[in-house]
Amino acid sequence: MIDFLVYLGTMVGIWGILSLSLNIQYGLTGLVNLGHVAFFMLGAYASTILVEIFGLPIPVGFLAGIGAAALFGMFMALPTASLQQDYWGISTLAMAEIVRLVFLNQTLGSPYVGASFGVGGIDRPLRSWFETPDAYGWFYLGLVVTLLVLVMLLCWWLRKLPFGRALMALREGDAVPLALGKNVRTLRIKAMGIGGAVGGLAGALFAHYNAYIAPNYFLPLETFLVWAMVILGGAGNIWGALFGTVIIQTIYNSTRFIDDYLPIEDTLLGSLRMVFIGVMIILVIIYLPNGLFPERRPRYGSRPPADG
Amino acid sequence: MWGNRRALTQVIFDSLIRASELTLLAVGLTMVYGVLRFPNFSHVEFAPLGAFLALYGASELGMPLLVACIPAIIITGFIGVGCDRAVFARLRDRSPIMLMIAAFALGIVIRELLRAWWGPSPYFYDIGLQRPMQLLGANVTQVQIGIIATAALCMLGFHILLNGTKLGVAMRATADNVDLAEASGINTERVIRRVWFIGSGFAALGGILLGLDTQIQPNMGFGIIIPVFCAAILGGIGHPHGAMFGALILGFAENIGLAIDWQPVLALVGIETGPYAFIPTGYKAAIPFTLLILVLLMRPQGLVGSRAR
Repeated sequence: MIDFLVYLGTMVGIWGILSLSLNIQYGLTGLVNLGHVAFFMLGAYASTILVEIFGLPIPVGFLAGIGAAALFGMFMALPTASLQQDYWGISTLAMAEIVRLVFLNQTLGSPYVGASFGVGGIDRPLRSWFETPDAYGWFYLGLVVTLLVLVMLLCWWLRKLPFGRALMALREGDAVPLALGKNVRTLRIKAMGIGGAVGGLAGALFAHYNAYIAPNYFLPLETFLVWAMVILGGAGNIWGALFGTVIIQTIYNSTRFIDDYLPIEDTLLGSLRMVFIGVMIILVIIYLPNGLFPERRPRYGSRPPADG
Repeated sequence: MWGNRRALTQVIFDSLIRASELTLLAVGLTMVYGVLRFPNFSHVEFAPLGAFLALYGASELGMPLLVACIPAIIITGFIGVGCDRAVFARLRDRSPIMLMIAAFALGIVIRELLRAWWGPSPYFYDIGLQRPMQLLGANVTQVQIGIIATAALCMLGFHILLNGTKLGVAMRATADNVDLAEASGINTERVIRRVWFIGSGFAALGGILLGLDTQIQPNMGFGIIIPVFCAAILGGIGHPHGAMFGALILGFAENIGLAIDWQPVLALVGIETGPYAFIPTGYKAAIPFTLLILVLLMRPQGLVGSRAR
């Protein structure tokens, strides 16, 4: 039970970082990125390739994962200038799938590594310092939570910066930032780059925690799960995104539990949990369009006169 | 430049088969997109839904497959209308972003329900082993000729509906400009319901054809979402004729892209390869993806459309 909770906590932490990165792109800037899983995938693969194939130290792998995802994010942002949001969303979906196709077809180093076989036995940072897997689980949870807090601080700080306020203005349409002389294209590229970097961090954390990655971990379905977290919690709200992550991850992982108590097949349960999440998201969009924790928007100007 | 892997006629036949399957899905997608102004990611899920319903009729209820198709298409059409009433009709005034995410969620619900019902392993229609016949140097089965003929007939019928009937004119008017159509006395909500019915029904038929050609499994719809979107966008959103044209281009692009020996082209730009340079089959799916991004970048209004997006 305890190790399951540690595992769940670690997954919530990793996916929390991922949903915060979508929150920077969608919640803050209003970019409808339907290829978000690409950052997760690039972070995981870049770090794995450098550490496992080239034998570089793990921190270098992490940095490379962050960098690769950030670069790809900036690349994804290039067509935004000429495309309507829905068209751009479709193109991001396609871009993420192209990345997955490359990893699905490309072997890494030897014939049975990479491609659809995936990469296994990925090094775990500082594993030798801990004697038992349990103790290591606690350590990794601590690492993930520390990084999550750092990412939360980054998101909070972004909102305070003039840059962050420009992003929020962009979310409401191009007119205001353009009138203020902001370069909307550069703003979008930067937002995608920062969000991508954070997503890459989550991917690297996942790869070195799970110790195995394969292309079918990075399907468009994962992008939907991240969206579900942000929409459920409330786009633009840091705590909302985290709360959404806790709920969705708990539902997603709880099947490990339920099948001990209910005589339902694994695959059936796996489908039913996705049906449940899908129906929940549709209901949230219809009845709670701002999520469970709507973003608190600062009010400017004179307050209405107080009574009395 | 032609590789020795496949005869030219074979490439043409394969392209036509692919285009037939895609066009049935793309036409419905482009109509709903044009009328409701959001990319309906759940549209492709009506393909496995229809395919499984036909399979249920044929294998469980003992109907002949051709007969089982009819209720399957009609039921899928009504389910499409039901999805619109239950989900999208409540979101008409929302931003397309929310509709997009809701459509994604609805698609997952449909797909996972199918998976829960039928399980993840693939099914096949009981049509026996097809013996390919030689036609102009290509190997084609009777079923495959049937697929091409069915799609061609449907598209002809749809063309007549669009241009020759009041409903068709109303549909085109609504896809062009909802407010203007409403002002001209068109009951747009009724047109929207019909568009959903026809679109979902066509998607179901597309799924059945795809199932006849390959296999039936819950992922078969989502697996071709990008080619379908690509065909619709190529033809210009809201233009069914464009979508048919887009499906043809895509069918040929996928098959010709694989059949061409790219070595002379690569040598031209200075990349040295071996004697041959074919696109690996594993990357076949990358052709529509790349095409989609290129089209979006260069002509987001479609090849024939003119409206700026």
